[in-house]
Amino acid sequence: MKFTVCIKQVPDVYAPLQIKNGELSMDTDRMVLNAYDASAVEEALVLTEQHGGDVEVVLIGPDKAKETIRKALAMGAAKGHHIHVEDTHGLDSAAYASILTAFFEKNPTEVIATGKQSQDTDSGLAGSMIAASLNLPYAANAVGLHIDGGSSLVVKRQGDTGQEMLALPIPCLVTCSNDMNNPRIPSLKGIMASKKKPVETHTLEDLGLSLATVRDSVKTSTISYQEMPAREAGKKLEGDAEELVSSLMNLLQNEAKVI
Amino acid sequence: MSAILVYISTTGGKIKRSSLEVLSHCRDQATKNNMELAAVVLDNDAAAFADQLQQYGARKVYTVSNPIFKSHLNAPVTQALLQIIEQVNPRVFACASTEGTKDVLGALAAKTGGAALPDVANFEVTADGVSALRPVMAAKILSQNTASGELVLVSVRSGSYDATESPTVADVTDVAFTPADFAAVLREVISSTGDKVDLSEATVVVAAGRGIKDEEGKKLIDDLAETLGAAVGASRAVVENGLFPATAQIGQTGKVVSPELYFAIGISGAVQHTAGMSNSKVIVAINKDGDAPIFQMASYGLVGDLYKILPLLTEEIRKAKSA
Ligand SMILES: Cc1cc2nc3c(=O)[nH]c(=O)nc-3n(C[C@H](O)[C@H](O)[C@H](O)COP(=O)(O)OP(=O)(O)OC[C@H]3O[C@@H](n4cnc5c(N)ncnc54)[C@H](O)[C@@H]3O)c2cc1C
Repeated sequence: MKFTVCIKQVPDVYAPLQIKNGELSMDTDRMVLNAYDASAVEEALVLTEQHGGDVEVVLIGPDKAKETIRKALAMGAAKGHHIHVEDTHGLDSAAYASILTAFFEKNPTEVIATGKQSQDTDSGLAGSMIAASLNLPYAANAVGLHIDGGSSLVVKRQGDTGQEMLALPIPCLVTCSNDMNNPRIPSLKGIMASKKKPVETHTLEDLGLSLATVRDSVKTSTISYQEMPAREAGKKLEGDAEELVSSLMNLLQNEAKVI
Repeated sequence: MSAILVYISTTGGKIKRSSLEVLSHCRDQATKNNMELAAVVLDNDAAAFADQLQQYGARKVYTVSNPIFKSHLNAPVTQALLQIIEQVNPRVFACASTEGTKDVLGALAAKTGGAALPDVANFEVTADGVSALRPVMAAKILSQNTASGELVLVSVRSGSYDATESPTVADVTDVAFTPADFAAVLREVISSTGDKVDLSEATVVVAAGRGIKDEEGKKLIDDLAETLGAAVGASRAVVENGLFPATAQIGQTGKVVSPELYFAIGISGAVQHTAGMSNSKVIVAINKDGDAPIFQMASYGLVGDLYKILPLLTEEIRKAKSA
């Protein structure tokens, strides 16, 4: 089975962030593979190791983001597709989805996998947008995948009060949770091998698009950023267990009045 | 008159509180902007909810009853919502952010050509669209976003608004709906058993982290939760090791909760966890490491061994409750 995983390069959440005049600036040297996408790559690798097939990855971004394609290749993906957009500033989920839709129309696959959200914006829209545009059956927030007989992908998805098991006929799309697995750390051998693996570059024009048409598909914009108002630390209590419990009871009953 | 259409989620024969929060906020927005407030509910027996929606001020109620809605499946939900959106032609479509609505929001946006603002902490209807505040970067930062166009779709984090009644009399329409053939087959629904109190609706949450090492520790959590009438939550660490069900996970991957009282027990306070609970009113942290980041946001922090503290605490609460 052929899997194509949509991957995104995102800032490391632990990298220092700065907000100046409503603009967010971050350390561009600390960019990583989105954790949810890493789980999608991992699961695709495990399934193709068991059942045969290939894993390819596709990424939209500037030249620098190719390092994230290499990371996925080092994990074991066979081929990378780099949709080159040097300046992604201002592109929203709808714009990314329109580019990927055009990509998949030209480069069909059997299973499209994405992370369930990207860890920087937490939007979680692109997957179902692409599926809807391509009229593919899909499932979001998968926590387990297996292949059933070669014609369907069985997805366990995490719902609100439990889990749902769905069989999706192929071709289909699935968005993956990081609760699905722990992505492998590339081995030295994997890293060496990744350097020889093919990365095909696609321009927007190759896909029948242009930066202008893509910018037209943008529906939302970010006006400014602000720091999340910090919670103030309250009272820190120390002592033996009896003292701690009796102080806490007193505070909960008489100060916070929640018990 | 243009309309705000609120998609109401139900669970176990009840409307979700988070949907009523969104409905209440949209009622205010409709009044301010001279718009009509409409609500749509999809359920096996959707008509049963019409009364309650009028209590919360919906002027038009669309009920779509079909057995297909007994379990969540994205294709019929999307089909039904597209049908209602077509009928109502709203300027704004709003819903509570749940795993169910996350599964369809992008598809609805793609199919309608509307703009989507997911998981917002608040929003306002403006002259040409919607302006909203969204937590980003594991909820370390808020981003101010705008969306314009003929239709804007918004999903709202639970606990962002209060659910308040404002009774009215609505036009109630039972909508005929025939599910199309769809390709996905629902094989099985695996419910998390033992969830006595719904986590996203709970006013008290007792959440366990890696400090809970075993079944004995889990029993201490369950006992405290039961005594308080609380829902049990968990960090990713103890969902991963199988001690707690995935439905209990709170944080960036899991659920967002905002109870009156939150107990973080043996939880260090990683940003991906606090992203899901930092709006709780009172936070109690119990951790043996006095430098754990959770203490920076705890209203009351207890530095000590949870295995020693919990039995005493449960006992004291039991006494207080029966006094
Ligand atoms: C993309 C992404 C998404 C994520 N999403 C989530 C999410 O949704 N929810 C989530 O929770 N995490 C999430 N994580 C994981 C998160 O980064 C942390 O790894 C996780 O929250 C840690 O859980 P913990 O606090 O229970 O464990 P730890 O960080 O290991 O902390 C355990 C704490 O228990 C204390 N302790 C140990 N024994 C005792 C004792 N006897 N008495 C008292 N205290 C004790 C220790 O001092 C320590 O502070 C995500 C990570 C990524 C990368």
